[in-house]
Amino acid sequence: MYTLNKCLVHSCKNLSLSTFDAQGSITDEQNYCLDHIPDPGKAKELIFSYIKTHDVIVGLNTAGITFTGIDLTNKRFYGCNFQHCTFTNLHSEGLRSRMSMFDFATFSDCTLLNCNMQFTSFSGCTFSHTLFTGSDMVQNNFNGVQSFQSSFDDSDLYNSRFISAKLVNTSFRNCNVKKTIFLDCIQENVSFKMSNTREAVFDRRGSALAQGLDEGGGSLF
Amino acid sequence: MKIYFHLNLGGFSNCYVVANETIREAVIIDPGQITEEIIDKIESGSYKLTGVFITHNHGSHVHGLRTLRKIYTPKIYAADWEVAGSDTNVITGDGKVHIAGLTVRYMALPGHTADSMVYKIGNVLFTGDTLSAGKIGTTNSSYSDFILRNNIERKIFSEQDSTVLMPGHGPPTCVGGEKRFNLDMVRSGSTYVRPSEQLPDE
Repeated sequence: MYTLNKCLVHSCKNLSLSTFDAQGSITDEQNYCLDHIPDPGKAKELIFSYIKTHDVIVGLNTAGITFTGIDLTNKRFYGCNFQHCTFTNLHSEGLRSRMSMFDFATFSDCTLLNCNMQFTSFSGCTFSHTLFTGSDMVQNNFNGVQSFQSSFDDSDLYNSRFISAKLVNTSFRNCNVKKTIFLDCIQENVSFKMSNTREAVFDRRGSALAQGLDEGGGSLF
Repeated sequence: MKIYFHLNLGGFSNCYVVANETIREAVIIDPGQITEEIIDKIESGSYKLTGVFITHNHGSHVHGLRTLRKIYTPKIYAADWEVAGSDTNVITGDGKVHIAGLTVRYMALPGHTADSMVYKIGNVLFTGDTLSAGKIGTTNSSYSDFILRNNIERKIFSEQDSTVLMPGHGPPTCVGGEKRFNLDMVRSGSTYVRPSEQLPDE
């Protein structure tokens, strides 16, 4: 988990893709990133096949890959890296994720119903027509996300953060937003109907969490 | 390397168990509260707990140390001697420690507290309370605030954008995300401000 090897090309700063041994298990070997790998098609095929054949996936690195029409129903991802990936027409029900990184990924026309994603980072992601309905999204990082026509309805977003997010036509109906931080958000047609917004943090002054910050005293933690 | 995350319900702080599966040894970062779950994780994996790293001497990050020392005899690394008295391996400045088959790089990052430390194992930075997703740690003076921001820019933002940050509180994040969306750093006029998103004066 989290070996996060660098690309073998010395000047390249990208992370290398996961490598697999003869038995099809993930190894710690260094590899090239998606831009420099000699046969990207084969590398993608190996990754797709690994995801298809395993239900519990630990420490997979797929940075930059495009996933189209993949079914992740009941898959479990632990400590995986999907930074800068693109997910299109993804379908899943009961997906589980812990400590995985989806930073700067794009989700387009995706359905992630009843998923359980905790301690996962979606920083800088773009969600377009993406549904997270009925999900447990506790302590997740959604800072800087851009969300269009998407839904988090009936979800538990406890202690998650949406700092500097742009939320357009996005609904948070019947959500648990206790300790969820929505600081500096741009909101257009966002609905929080039936959600416990009194427990959420929308500005520094109104937040018990941030009380005293401006005076230089108090404590956030 | 495997990292296990545990949320301490008292203080809502994050505790991490970093295990080396090859030699079955592990270290703990910020044992705010030691629960059966953490002990189970160590015992079921047959790991030998060889080290404890403290990011700073605040209750929600060190309270579990007493319990831990009753069961194991790990080396304790912290910048504050008071963490475990004479059993503390006091670390100062920047450097590295080889333990449990891992190289743990440490960087002094004062600001939130004088003894704040950041640890780097592999490509993961354990930031304690210096930086969390979208925010920086609280300080008790404008000078500490200035020092903290400077240190974050010099020591954390100089890492690769893909470097994973595991904070002492709240969700994980990455360096790239913090450069762009950390409210406190963007507002402070950090070099990483996006021109289109400069905020009006408060």
